[in-house]
Amino acid sequence: MKRIRSSIIDGVGFDLVLVGIPLVFLLLFSGLPLVYNVLMSFQEVDLFSLGEVFRPFVGLKNYRALFAQPEFWPIMWNTVIFVFCSIGGQFIVGFGLAVFFNTGFRGSTFIRGLFLVSWVMPGLVVGATWNWILAGDFGVLNYLLSSIGVISENIFWRSDINYSLWAVIITNIWLGTAFNMILLSVGLAGIPKDLYEAASLDGATAFQKFWTITVPMMRSTTGAVISLGLIFTLQQFDLFAAITGGGPANSSNVAQYWAWELSFRQYDFARGATISTIMIAVVMVASVFYVRSTRHEVRG
Amino acid sequence: MTQELQIELNGVDKHYGAFHALKDIQLAIPKGAFVALVGPSGCGKSTLLRSIAGLETISGGEMKITDEVVNNVPPRHRDVAMVFQSYALYPHMTVIDNLTYSLRLKKTPKAEARKIAEEVAATIGLENLLDRFPRELSGGQRQRVAMGRAIVRRPKVFLFDEPLSNLDASLRVHMRKEIRALHDRLGATSVYVTHDQIEAMTMADHVVVMRAGVIEQQGAPLELYDRPASQFVAGFIGSPAMNFVDGVTNADGTAVTLEIDGAPELKLPRQVACNQKVTVGLRPEHLSISAAGQGTITTKISVIESTGSTTYVGAGDTGKITIVLSERRDISVGDTIDLSINAKDIHLFDPHSQMAI
Repeated sequence: MKRIRSSIIDGVGFDLVLVGIPLVFLLLFSGLPLVYNVLMSFQEVDLFSLGEVFRPFVGLKNYRALFAQPEFWPIMWNTVIFVFCSIGGQFIVGFGLAVFFNTGFRGSTFIRGLFLVSWVMPGLVVGATWNWILAGDFGVLNYLLSSIGVISENIFWRSDINYSLWAVIITNIWLGTAFNMILLSVGLAGIPKDLYEAASLDGATAFQKFWTITVPMMRSTTGAVISLGLIFTLQQFDLFAAITGGGPANSSNVAQYWAWELSFRQYDFARGATISTIMIAVVMVASVFYVRSTRHEVRG
Repeated sequence: MTQELQIELNGVDKHYGAFHALKDIQLAIPKGAFVALVGPSGCGKSTLLRSIAGLETISGGEMKITDEVVNNVPPRHRDVAMVFQSYALYPHMTVIDNLTYSLRLKKTPKAEARKIAEEVAATIGLENLLDRFPRELSGGQRQRVAMGRAIVRRPKVFLFDEPLSNLDASLRVHMRKEIRALHDRLGATSVYVTHDQIEAMTMADHVVVMRAGVIEQQGAPLELYDRPASQFVAGFIGSPAMNFVDGVTNADGTAVTLEIDGAPELKLPRQVACNQKVTVGLRPEHLSISAAGQGTITTKISVIESTGSTTYVGAGDTGKITIVLSERRDISVGDTIDLSINAKDIHLFDPHSQMAI
């Protein structure tokens, strides 16, 4: 007993306690629900068996039924477009801003800090604000686009099936850019200044320095940002709830929103869990990339 | 005959806001010269080097590289190469890619670039490391890659910014010789910044001593050692540093009385102003211990540091006067000794202006 106590106070035991607390927490509140979710996707679930853990096992029936639904592939395709375009937009705008603020002009750190405001705002509030911006008849976005001559008649962003998904994507790009910018700024700040000086003396133009020094030196940061972006984008729920509700006619529906609809609107918990399980698999692949890219940091 | 100049600085000034980093710098560097910029930290030597590289824009004056005014020429058009203190190797490129970087920017054909880089690598002993990344190299190897990257370009001027300060002592001594040999072989013009006066003295043809943004003195290494223009240069050049003792010249200006115990009088090599307060500079290696009653300064030994080949003796109350002996003597702490010095080795400085008299 005494040995255990002294080990906890000043030995290996202390490390184990430090690791143990979060591990227990994670297993209890993340691990178990995940396992329960996966289990549920192989069971027959109805409102009468909701409270049980062991329900009739149905194999891949839920998966087959889900794949057979006519909206399955369109929604998956929407998800791909949403994830790909959101991450692309967030990353490109975020990188541009990060490079811009990295020039270190007067007040750059302060203004960069202000950008975080967008990130701390609740998704529902962001969605509500953008509803006004995106509004078909009085929205400021339409006004802007028609002023510069891009469009000749108003676009009803939220109710036109051709634009509803894009309404959410535009909002999500705005929401996620700050996060991308901050992470990329940290990466940029980590590139030693003398590499750029050496490259200048070696004859590189600003453009060549960007492609031969900045971009390759940012590889690990980029990997991390994109993997995290994938995870966050697949989590994005509030904006759909606030802006389009997945409609009209599923034109802006994506996997994560559909899972919620199936489970909590149609009370088809098994299919909801099935979609979630598919998404868990995707996120796990992203996590592997994330861990790998943070591990392969290239630093002088 | 006037030598062809490679770098010419006329009244160069550099301000950082209110801070005056370089003040009216006049410097002419002939083709093929090895020039060392030396001084304590913050003296402006690195700023001067970076200005020559074009990494800093000068605030005033004129800078020429081979007769072309380069005040507003960006670094990539100056045709100068620089070896950084941190080496600044591109961490995401292998050694060969580091070496060929400048050639690839110039769109040199791949095979040709590789051939040039391989030749350079062979001359500096990197041929077996070409496919390694910088992180897989030791400090000395990284240093070589940094030099190789500069050599590959065949620039007009090589700039070195304290390139050896991250190496251990023995490697530093070795690289010192290697850099100088390389300079001679390439027939290049080199400007070398260091805070280590030994590096400056051993490597350079021309040493520029800087302090607080001003060139204190410049000239051949031994000239600086033999005829320092100021007390600062005298104290900076030479190791261990010169001893400074307050003194007063006598009534006819041919001797000086030191203001230490016993008030010894030293004969001067030439006549100076009489009854004047002066600072007397005595190099440790010029002082010798003579038999009792034979020397001019009688003092007590307070410290003895023996390195085997040389012995450093501290004499006076707090070891104020340092003496370097190259032969072993039977002495110990507390002994009273007599010191003597040749009149020609005595340096005099004005205590107010600190300039040599």
